Amino acid sequence: MSAATRPVIRIENLVKRFGGFTALNGVSLDVYPGEVHALLGDNGAGKSTLIKTLAGVFPPTEGTISVDEKAVNFRSPRDASDAGIGTVYQDLALNGLASVTRNFFMGRELFVGPPIFGLMRMAEMDRITREEMLKLGIDISDPSQAVGTMSGGQRQTLAIARAIHFGAKVLILDEPTSALGQKQQMEVLKTIKRVRDLGHIAIILITHNEVHAELIADRFTFLSLGEVIGAGTNADLDSADMRRLMAGGAELAHLSEELATTS
Amino acid sequence: MASEAKTTTAKRSESDRRQRRGMLAALINRPEIGATVGLLLLLIFLGVVAGNVVYNPLGIKNNLSIISQLGIIATGAALLMIAGEFDLSIGSMIGFAGMSMAMMLKWGLPFGLGEATPFAAFTITLCMTLAIGCLIGNIVVRSGLSSFIVTLAFLFILRGLTEVCFRTFNEGSTQISGLPDFKESDWFAYLFGGETFQWLFDFLYWIGWNVNRLGNQWVTGLDARFAWWLAISVAAYIVLSRSQLGNWIYATGGNREAALANGVPTRKVKIGLFMFTAFCATVFAACQVFDTNTADAAKGNLKELEAIAAAVVGGAILTGGFGTVIGVVLGALIFGLVQNAVFYIPWIDGSYYRVFLGTVLLIAAFSNENIRKRVTGGL
Repeated sequence: MSAATRPVIRIENLVKRFGGFTALNGVSLDVYPGEVHALLGDNGAGKSTLIKTLAGVFPPTEGTISVDEKAVNFRSPRDASDAGIGTVYQDLALNGLASVTRNFFMGRELFVGPPIFGLMRMAEMDRITREEMLKLGIDISDPSQAVGTMSGGQRQTLAIARAIHFGAKVLILDEPTSALGQKQQMEVLKTIKRVRDLGHIAIILITHNEVHAELIADRFTFLSLGEVIGAGTNADLDSADMRRLMAGGAELAHLSEELATTS
Repeated sequence: MASEAKTTTAKRSESDRRQRRGMLAALINRPEIGATVGLLLLLIFLGVVAGNVVYNPLGIKNNLSIISQLGIIATGAALLMIAGEFDLSIGSMIGFAGMSMAMMLKWGLPFGLGEATPFAAFTITLCMTLAIGCLIGNIVVRSGLSSFIVTLAFLFILRGLTEVCFRTFNEGSTQISGLPDFKESDWFAYLFGGETFQWLFDFLYWIGWNVNRLGNQWVTGLDARFAWWLAISVAAYIVLSRSQLGNWIYATGGNREAALANGVPTRKVKIGLFMFTAFCATVFAACQVFDTNTADAAKGNLKELEAIAAAVVGGAILTGGFGTVIGVVLGALIFGLVQNAVFYIPWIDGSYYRVFLGTVLLIAAFSNENIRKRVTGGL
């Protein structure tokens, strides 16, 4: 675990209201390079609002977001990605019918000649795609294969490798292990670990699954009803704490009592 | 331990299960394979039943004329389909463009600006058709309505307008004939209505194959539309397979949300392709007008459906993201040959062409779906 002292992203007292509804009520958290920061919470806790604000989809109502200790004001997702915040959403933004290389460079093709009608430098693009995937431990021998032929874990890796190649310093992964089989979940966790081991990239991992978070994350923030109800490093928290916080702070003991009485 | 795990994954990863496919398997996954086999069978069949009329200089010229005509509009239709949209207005656009050019050639430029040269008539018409293509594209991307409905509306609107214009200016007739033979005097008209590849037919005469019964040279060259088809196909191939725009077209049709998220200007791509189909329709019309020196309000009727059928034979699927220009060339070859073949073979009723077209369309659609599933692993 690299002990970076300066956070790459600092969020302070972030408030986001949609009309009369307060989705985030004063959330603060720091994200460090070379670390996995798990963002946990139940449905409706505000995880999605938080990452969409970070990704430039929503402007914050109050509070500040700083990247490299400079306050930023994202007006669009483009601003956020230019600032080095890469978001990998659940749908991965891939085109299953096209090749791995064509997906890797979608919208950012390398070409010679005039823009738009310029010819793509396919050999170079194939080589870069292979190298970038290899860095994350996936050896695609044929970059011209369709993305539709890849496993869910490999697609996830492709989306992550693409975000990193195009300059992401902070990688936001939105539920990367949901909708995958057991084995592929492990594959994705391995990929996340390899990204962390690169050392210079901060990862924000949004998940429902505290087991996965415990396996891979260095730092945790638990959200409930738009507020931070617990935070700490891997060393600070034990499994029992995590399960308690995961359930929105309600004691699991209460739940088991309740279940016992209803039966 | 970690390195050991890594080596085992490197030895046997998920992707390795895919890589050991031979040349043959790779060939079968090409979207054009069905059309190639179909074309070869067709060529053999034609050789057996009508070889003497198909495989001679005149047969080649006539076949290529029909094929090129279809190929020009099929290329536009296919590129648009790969981007996930659909244009039913191609046929009406052909009628509209032909009417526009013929009227200007007959009665001069609008607003009394004097005589129309073929160049002026074509350029003004092209500006109008491109503007209409741009309008259709804008309506589709801005409204979010299905392009099927929007272009169906323009199929009716343009055909109706063409007929109205004809009747208003042409004393109730929907035809113009007897235009001067511009291709004899004007180089620009010759580009569309003249001949091309004369050197090839000179050569064929020289080697003694292209000789008529009187012992003179029989066929002098191919119709100019063949050169247009060739040029449009080559340009479309380079753009679609090799250029940045090509990747945008595939991305737009394959997964629009993903394309948008990666910064592909999907709206501009679609609008541009609607304008490209309008361009193809205008070239089609210009070739007809300058070749025959006539125009008719009914020209181009149902051509949009033939163009789409040829695109489907070329591997294009209605949901977009798939298909190639080489496939479209094959599709145009197949339909053009059959359309002409029914005239060569006396014992076949000409309307069997439509039966054939429908059957092949159905087979092609099934096979495309199959290939798509194989490529995407059943996605």
